[in-house]
Amino acid sequence: MKRTILGSVAALALSAGALWAENVAVITPYLAQPGTQAYVEGFQAQAAKSGWTVNVIDTAGDVAAVIARIEDAVTQKVNAIVINVDPAQVAAGLQVAKDAGIPVIGMDAGSDPLLATNVTSNGYAMAAETSVYVANRIGGKGNVVMFVFDAFPPVQARGVIADAVFANHPDIKVLDRVTPDVQDGGIADSRAKMEAILAANPEPGSIAAVWAAWDQPALGALQAIEAAGRQGEGIVITGIDANPQAREAIAAGGNFEASVAQDFAGIGAAAADAAGRVMKGETIKEPVIYVSTVMVTAVNAAQ
Amino acid sequence: MNFRSFSTALRQWGTFLGLLAIVVFFAWRLPETFPTAQNFLNISQQISMLAVAAFTMTIVMVMNDFDLSVGSTASLAGIVAAVLFAAGQPVWVGVTAALAVGVLGGVFNGFLVAYIGILPFIATLGTLTMFSGAAFMISDGKTIFGRDIPTEFAGFARFGIPLDAIGLEGAKLPLMTLAAVVVLLMVWLLLEQTTFGRRLYAIGGNRVAAELAGINTRRLRLMAFGLTGLGAAVAGLMYASRVASANPTQGAGLMLDAIAAVFLGMTMGREGEPRVLATLVGVLILGILDNGLTQMNVDSYVREILIGAIVVSAVAISAFGQRRG
Amino acid sequence: MQTLCFQGLTKAYGGVPALSDVTLTLSAGRVHALMGENGAGKSTLIKLIAGVVAADRMTVTRDGKTLPLRTAAEATKAGFRFIHQELNIVPQLSVAENVLLGHPAPRRFGMFIDWRRMQDKAAAALASLGAEHIDVRQQAGALATGDKMLTRIASALVAEAGAAEPCLYVFDEPTAALTASESTKLFDVIARLKAQGAAVLYVSHRMNEVLQICDDVTVLRDGRHVLTTEIAKTTRVEIIAAMTGKPVSDAIPARTTPVGQGVACRVTALDTRDLSGLNLSLAEGEILGVAGLDESSQTAFLRLILGQGRIQKGGLEVLNGPAPTSPEQAWARGIAYVPRERRSQGLMLGMGVRPNALFPHLVDYGLLADKRAEVARTRGLADQVRLRFQGTEQPVGQLSGGNQQKVLFARAIAKNPKLLLLEEPTRGVDVGARAEIHGLIRALSTQGSAVILASSDLVELLGLSDRILILQGGRQMAVLDRQAMTPADLLARIYASEAA
Repeated sequence: MKRTILGSVAALALSAGALWAENVAVITPYLAQPGTQAYVEGFQAQAAKSGWTVNVIDTAGDVAAVIARIEDAVTQKVNAIVINVDPAQVAAGLQVAKDAGIPVIGMDAGSDPLLATNVTSNGYAMAAETSVYVANRIGGKGNVVMFVFDAFPPVQARGVIADAVFANHPDIKVLDRVTPDVQDGGIADSRAKMEAILAANPEPGSIAAVWAAWDQPALGALQAIEAAGRQGEGIVITGIDANPQAREAIAAGGNFEASVAQDFAGIGAAAADAAGRVMKGETIKEPVIYVSTVMVTAVNAAQ
Repeated sequence: MNFRSFSTALRQWGTFLGLLAIVVFFAWRLPETFPTAQNFLNISQQISMLAVAAFTMTIVMVMNDFDLSVGSTASLAGIVAAVLFAAGQPVWVGVTAALAVGVLGGVFNGFLVAYIGILPFIATLGTLTMFSGAAFMISDGKTIFGRDIPTEFAGFARFGIPLDAIGLEGAKLPLMTLAAVVVLLMVWLLLEQTTFGRRLYAIGGNRVAAELAGINTRRLRLMAFGLTGLGAAVAGLMYASRVASANPTQGAGLMLDAIAAVFLGMTMGREGEPRVLATLVGVLILGILDNGLTQMNVDSYVREILIGAIVVSAVAISAFGQRRG
Repeated sequence: MQTLCFQGLTKAYGGVPALSDVTLTLSAGRVHALMGENGAGKSTLIKLIAGVVAADRMTVTRDGKTLPLRTAAEATKAGFRFIHQELNIVPQLSVAENVLLGHPAPRRFGMFIDWRRMQDKAAAALASLGAEHIDVRQQAGALATGDKMLTRIASALVAEAGAAEPCLYVFDEPTAALTASESTKLFDVIARLKAQGAAVLYVSHRMNEVLQICDDVTVLRDGRHVLTTEIAKTTRVEIIAAMTGKPVSDAIPARTTPVGQGVACRVTALDTRDLSGLNLSLAEGEILGVAGLDESSQTAFLRLILGQGRIQKGGLEVLNGPAPTSPEQAWARGIAYVPRERRSQGLMLGMGVRPNALFPHLVDYGLLADKRAEVARTRGLADQVRLRFQGTEQPVGQLSGGNQQKVLFARAIAKNPKLLLLEEPTRGVDVGARAEIHGLIRALSTQGSAVILASSDLVELLGLSDRILILQGGRQMAVLDRQAMTPADLLARIYASEAA
């Protein structure tokens, strides 16, 4: 991964940043996560076209350090700052940047008045796509198991949409609304919960579909169904995010039929575009810029 | 001054000279932005949480013990305060409860170490997990933020004392910095100027001998761990105020940095013993490196490698010097 | 081999001479004592002939032929074996593994350790020391101190293939950690080695041992050779004069005042986990010696009075009150303690003389430290114990053994203790310091302090004590009046109790 233009020990020997180029700091506590890496790569690719100097700073999970690094970037007088963290938590740093007149762009960060704008995927739309897919595939009737997680706001929003879609079909019954324990990543506990539900509903056809608010419970449910030998009943499973493991399962053509992929690189690129606009002096009116998502099914899962 | 005392002095002051070298280097590379009053004030605020955790960590390390649980104690304290805020309790209740949790957690560590006789490494590794689990349990794993956090609590980390009077127009001495300085003074008084602190050093010098010389080592260890827990809770509250939120893992990074800072400081002790003013040098080295290297656009991962390498080489040089001196 | 000659031994550290042109000639079948006060150059000499420190100048000849000796490997190859004061055994390993530690283990198929042969080899080495009673399969940590010593010596006896037969054994303060009876066993071993025709170099502070087992003696002072003579042709006084450079008597000051009237400590039918059937009382100003073959019950007795340990049965009355329940309480009530192992149990070696002397008494200087008062008090105490040091902040680790012991005494006498508990107060201490410590103990007793003195040094016990308690396996075997007893009598009583 090409990380920064000057990002190496060599920078110790060179002077700090080139004065003629636009200097942008990308600050995140979550660089170790695959999604964040994709955002940053997309951002860097776009930034390279414009010839910017990009400094990517990972604080390894430490949110207070994000504030510290924003302050440092302000001291260093960068032209713009991009963050990938909840803006409410780093408001102290955002205020410093605002006072110094340095714009901050959110990259899937959450919206906040202190941000010039936030670039993200539309979580409501993603949930609508998969829940409508489920409703259509089961012909608008049957029992559906939902896996949700209301403690985390972005995922909670997905559950609300799916509730609304299923409620709009009188013949669809939500059999259970499960919140799995996510300490171990969510797969193992989701599988255990699904096994219990399968045991409680032994009749073939008594479960028509499993809708999961993200991929891990969908994978857990798939494992439970296969372990119970009930993969032939046509239970439809959907997830959201389309992580590599989910894509593999979808490509295999089993019960796990669909997920929605966020365009991480696209978000990164769009954040770079937004940064370019604000650095030219434009005020972006919309507080959130949505980047479109892609439905992943057996047809395109291998891509 | 003969050769031996010269080399001893060099070893003792080596780490401090290293700090000066780092400051001079950044001032030379970043003449516009690094050596400014505002930047130094920024650094002081950035390191304030680590400083409090490291200063109070010094208290147990003086006895040759250490406490791996400070990070999760900090997280737990932040969560306890935030949960009480969310339940509508006033700020003082949340803060008091959080501090009490820190003291209790520390005393529990001290009980395991001093009375049950479990090695500190194992005891505090266990409580690290317990406290972290408790933080997750109390918060349901959620980050508590937004309207749940009172503005006067979050405000603590935003405000400062204006320094216009001493000619720094518009600059403020952050309250966080002030808090760290107060903790530093208190720990220094406690360790260097009281009977209590001298006895902790005696325990560190030789625990068996201290016990036989009539020092109640168990009670003192219990109390020392309690103070470290209290310090961790203070650091956790400062962190929560800084990010205006509480998350069950947010203090996790404090522990290793605090231990690293004390170790850096220990290279300055005559016999390799921790001193709180030396810990301050360690904290400053870590904080200034972070600040300066960020400003120089050095890659975060390279920065981590550099910081680790500096800690290891300082300790190695000191160990080498001690063997020869 | 007939003679081994080390000539012109010279070594300086950083320009400071530690050893200047010393010559030492050792003969086969003779035990040669090396004596001198701390800092006289004994350890440097041993390091040079062990090849662990490079000499500035040194010529070694064996029966007239030059012997290369620049590294530890060459010393081993020449047949030199070293037995140090510290018992370097690995407690987790078996005796057999400890005996063969540092030697290639016998193997099967070149891969797996041949345990049977290893055990046979170790057993043979132990047998040559007359220590057949040690089970080579047992964990070494479980051995008694004396058996650990034998294990260590056996390890020195094991010959590597190709190495010369041992021709020189160097014992460096071997009895420092041994009880009287263990020492006796060691002397048997040395006699055996001597009979086998090896030369033995024996380094010790203990005059009696040297007079008893050595044939020749060499005395060093300030890194220079002072005296070499046959033991038979010299006297205790001459050796001491050679070591100190001035005539010092090692006679122990006798009691000049009568024992007091009050009772300092009364023990009635006392049982604890480690002790049983203790019955005695100690008067103010009285010195009670404690002798016996196992150190651990002596330590248990003294520590019980210090407030460590739990009374199961019987009564213990200390200084007209109940027994203290913690060392903290004991010190507060005027009980002072000098532990057996000054380095591991007594001192904070990295810290200065001042804190070391004052730790039990810090509260007297207030909650906040009063450095000036502490320094003044430390200087006063240092004068009292005749401490030779560079300043109150000098780390005690830099002091000689005798001066370290004096720091412990300074700590103990700082508040005129009413009851003084001493374990091995002169172990590893040079002659001058030993005499000064004996003077101190006598002076405290004269002032009315009761003293309990546990020691393996029979001369010291007989010289100072009014009565002697013999403990064996935690049981009180006898309380003897020391009058008209000789060391031989006392030893006989100690052994009698072992047989019982």
